[in-house]
Amino acid sequence: MKRIKAVIVKEFFHILRDPKSLVIVLILPILMIFIFGYALSFDQSRIITAVIDFSHSELSQNLIKTLSQNNHYQLKEIIPDERFPTPTAKAESLLKTGEIKQYLIIPSDFSQHMKKDTPAAVAVIIDGSDSNVANIIHQYNEMIFLQFQTEVRKLGPPFSIHTKMYFNPENKSAFYIVPGMVAVIMIMVSALLTSLSVSREKETGSIELLFISPLKSHEIIIGKTVPYILVALLEGTFIMLFAKFWFQIPIRGDLLILLAFGLIYIIAGLSLGIMISTVASSQKVAMIATLLITLLPSILLSGFIFPLDSLSPLLRAFSYAVPATYFLKIIRGVILKDALFQHFSLEGFILLGFSLILINMASLRFSRQRKAAR
Amino acid sequence: MKLLYLIKKEFIEIFRQREMVMIIFIAPILQTILLGYVVTTDVNNIPVQIVNLSQSETANHISDRIIRSPLFNVKKISLQPDNYQEIFKQGKVKAIIILRDGFIRKNPFPPTTYPEIQILMDGIDSNTAGIAAGYFNGITRQYLLSDLSRKGRHSPLESKTLIRFNPRLKSITYMGPGIVALLLTLIAMFLTSISLVREKEQQTLDTLLISRLTPLEIYMGKALPMAIIGLVEMFLGVLVVILVFDITMRGSILWLLLSAVVFLFAILSYALFISSLCSSQQQALFFSWFSIVTFLLLSGLFTPLENIPKAFQWLVAINPLRYLIQIIREIFLKGNGPEFFLKELVSMSAIALVMITFSLLNFKRMITR
Repeated sequence: MKRIKAVIVKEFFHILRDPKSLVIVLILPILMIFIFGYALSFDQSRIITAVIDFSHSELSQNLIKTLSQNNHYQLKEIIPDERFPTPTAKAESLLKTGEIKQYLIIPSDFSQHMKKDTPAAVAVIIDGSDSNVANIIHQYNEMIFLQFQTEVRKLGPPFSIHTKMYFNPENKSAFYIVPGMVAVIMIMVSALLTSLSVSREKETGSIELLFISPLKSHEIIIGKTVPYILVALLEGTFIMLFAKFWFQIPIRGDLLILLAFGLIYIIAGLSLGIMISTVASSQKVAMIATLLITLLPSILLSGFIFPLDSLSPLLRAFSYAVPATYFLKIIRGVILKDALFQHFSLEGFILLGFSLILINMASLRFSRQRKAAR
Repeated sequence: MKLLYLIKKEFIEIFRQREMVMIIFIAPILQTILLGYVVTTDVNNIPVQIVNLSQSETANHISDRIIRSPLFNVKKISLQPDNYQEIFKQGKVKAIIILRDGFIRKNPFPPTTYPEIQILMDGIDSNTAGIAAGYFNGITRQYLLSDLSRKGRHSPLESKTLIRFNPRLKSITYMGPGIVALLLTLIAMFLTSISLVREKEQQTLDTLLISRLTPLEIYMGKALPMAIIGLVEMFLGVLVVILVFDITMRGSILWLLLSAVVFLFAILSYALFISSLCSSQQQALFFSWFSIVTFLLLSGLFTPLENIPKAFQWLVAINPLRYLIQIIREIFLKGNGPEFFLKELVSMSAIALVMITFSLLNFKRMITR
């Protein structure tokens, strides 16, 4: 224990010797929360739609009115010009430049068909370049057509459907994004922090001193990890405070539960960093490997943006190897749903398991390098 | 000529560690393939619970349709009310659909019992919740249509939907090239940003400075090797995306490469600017990490840019990755010629010019000090 303490103290001196870096490490993540809390939003913006009406009837005007009154749509008028003399050609060019997301063609026999109760076809042409957006547009269209039909036939709404949002009644994107962002940022910061610790000593040659010291390999690895727990915890507290007071994210759960899980999560991140650090031969390799391993998987495979339930089974398996997956669930649950410790005991254990395995791998690797050096 | 030696030295330095080949070329391609599949999946399989309190014919029909739909994954069907708050806390389902007996409607004739439907959603995941609600509306619509046709009536309005540019709605055509651009940014920016700092840290920068190289040559010597590596990487990545995901490249590859060159110069000069400000590799690391995440999340790849509030639009406007992704999309998906992305290309070139001037001036100041 005493020997580990010596390494810890030495490592603290390393951190404090370079206060400029420490300030950078602490400030940048807060800046990130600030930017993304505002800038990221998954709300669907209005669907810019053009309508080409060949029917010119009361019914077709009604359909257009239904569209314009719906606040998911924004209608754009089509004015043919010399280059695109017909409305269809003009609409097609607008679709190509991305000025409209879709256009509708109401055929000339629309009104007759509707009145005779024979199917009247409306053509819908959607920009499919973003497939998720195209899908949503399609869903909205179908809804509005249904609404139009029931109105025309005076059927009244087919069902009474009531929707209720739990935990986030105003449906604010920030509730979803800010806690997620905290999870994504924390794993990256902790892994990046320790990724340099061993590789730096390798580069400067001071690793030899560690090799010949009487300390055991695992003592060195643990001693090098512990000081960063404090740095990362400080960081985590800062950004949580910022989330609470700046973005007014209500913290409904117990802060102690969050702290306990946060600590486990941070340790998992730091262990990942130190593992990479012992494997890499230089700081450069360690840093870029850490970035590659943490950045995209934490954003894409953790459920931060894309829902995990939709992943294929193989990718789902990959997502279980990403620590952010677990903490994302925990932090959203504790902050917004007031979830309790037992709701996430499995996740907590898995994160602990991650740390144990990674720390052990790092120590093994370190002691092997040590033997090779001798 | 002297410049060539410097470039050669940089190449040796980059590839001195064998892991770097793996990191620069193989890891990004593996990630593109893997993550390409993530974003291929559209939202489906949403975990839900059905609470069927009505058990009328209509309610059972609707419940059946939900069970059969691949869009939903019904975890549990209960006939009694449950503690809904607790279910959401456990986080096993994203929505609960409650079917209740509603009122009897006399019009249209004959009178029918229509169920009252209540959808409870976990508002934490507002993205999925919204999509689930849309899907559910689709299901009720389908039910209604089949109900109408059973009564011998047609659906009066039919829509024929046509999807342009990406008829099979594969997200990979949209995401794949974007992910390549992203990994390119990550590696090019990061390696460049630490290259100068490293020389500072190891005090080899002085050796460079007392050589007969002009500041411009040193600057180019740092930027060019990464630009070359970046181009090769871009080319490989695009090739992999085309081959693995079976995407047809509709536009011209020359314009794509030209845009990539402009983009690389913007990014590399920005990275050199960071590098001249920092005093340790760790600082450079954190600055480039911050910049990469910002470029990435504000690039329009994952979230629509129109949603970003006006006060933050300027950040989007100076983000070179945003323009590159836009151009890639125009070329790849729409097969558009340069007249469609001229504006983006010009904006990106302007950013590149400003960046280069800025970082060159800064670089000169740093080395004359």
